Amino acid sequence: MSVKKSKSPSRRDFIKTAGLGVGVAAVASGVLSAGDAEATPLLSTDKATDYRETEHIKKYYESAQF
Amino acid sequence: MLTEENKLRIRISQEEEQRAHFYLLLSRLLGAVADEQLFDVIQNLEIDNSEIGKALGQLKSAAKCTSVKTAAEEYDELFIGVTQGELIPFKSYYLTGYLNEKPLAELRDDMEKLGIAKSDLVAEPDDHIAFLLEMMHGLIVGSFGDPLSVVEQNNFFEKHIFCWAPKFFEDLEKADAANFFIPVGRIGKLFMEVEGEAFLIAA
Repeated sequence: MSVKKSKSPSRRDFIKTAGLGVGVAAVASGVLSAGDAEATPLLSTDKATDYRETEHIKKYYESAQF
Repeated sequence: MLTEENKLRIRISQEEEQRAHFYLLLSRLLGAVADEQLFDVIQNLEIDNSEIGKALGQLKSAAKCTSVKTAAEEYDELFIGVTQGELIPFKSYYLTGYLNEKPLAELRDDMEKLGIAKSDLVAEPDDHIAFLLEMMHGLIVGSFGDPLSVVEQNNFFEKHIFCWAPKFFEDLEKADAANFFIPVGRIGKLFMEVEGEAFLIAA
């Protein structure tokens, strides 16, 4: 049995004409997960970004000390 | 009692899915530097004559005449910097002038209620714009449980996003370091307006 959400034609029409249908599906793996499920990092695991990520963490902690 | 077999499956319309994908696209643009793959995605976006469509057209052009490296440097200047970037894209900062204040605590409370967890691998607090946009995607499609009703989505949207993100996107569009990100700011601002209006129409 399935229940459809958002049956209102006017809401769906509005969204349709707003230009949101851009033909893109999943473009990112995210940091978020449901509860205990494993999450994949939002930032890429590419080496260059790893370095940036480490620096960013450092800067974040530095800037957080006020 | 509901068994696995007769459990209610909530399906969402194509339009709601489009909203969700749009949130994810914006989240990806703001959460990390764009790679070749994302540039490719941008250049293949289907656009129409709407305001958002025109802004997406600008983003497509920007992706054509900017290198991945230059966009990454711009991202760094805008959001990372030496101690901080030109912009500080956190809900708490925009609402109070400080990081890690009450607006973040309120978000964390709601995240717990909604069953949303953030990866420990990322140090940024939960109220980063990219995370919030990603949360909206998940709440629409049902990543953390059943998809939220439109009314519930609106509650979350108003409480954690609509109250500050439009201003952030405005700031992004006008930021000194912004070039590739000018249309990103414009798209974000327009999208927030569309979302706000769409929520006013009963589902």
